[in-house]
Amino acid sequence: MLNPMFNGAAAMAWLACSLFFLRFWKQSRDRLFGFFALTFALLGGNAVAGALLEVGDERRYYIYVVRLFAFLLILYAIWDKNRAVRRGGG
Amino acid sequence: MAEAVYILCALTSLACAVLLLRAWKRTQSRLLLWSGLCFAGLALNNVLLFVDLVLLPTAVDLYVPRLITGLASAVVLLYGLIWDAS
Repeated sequence: MLNPMFNGAAAMAWLACSLFFLRFWKQSRDRLFGFFALTFALLGGNAVAGALLEVGDERRYYIYVVRLFAFLLILYAIWDKNRAVRRGGG
Repeated sequence: MAEAVYILCALTSLACAVLLLRAWKRTQSRLLLWSGLCFAGLALNNVLLFVDLVLLPTAVDLYVPRLITGLASAVVLLYGLIWDAS
């Protein structure tokens, strides 16, 4: 009873974060914000999948593959941003 | 294979946290601080995941602490976005 509620709350919070970053991206057109929005949307979907799949379900493992991809996306976004700053862009 | 993914999740989220907090120290942008803290929470969440599913026997279940650290990370970032960034 409590666990799906925690998962649902986390999903809602991640999606809200994603929408904030989407707004920043629309305002500034800074790709960093776009990547952040995408990552937090992925984490939101992750929390939903975590709530829907049974604990013993073998597909549960793929949740963490998606999560790994989301983290790699952030690392790429930071690298991309640093490169742009070094080039004098921004 | 699953173990490798759990370890990589922990390492990448830790790397995100370190890079974001370093950028915050350099630029003093509060949004970077909240993002860095969020990823530090996620790193803790992923370490707990590894400890729970790989190191500890199945009799010990850390699912609720994992849920709470994940939710706390999201709430920290949301707090920062609502109070600091807009």
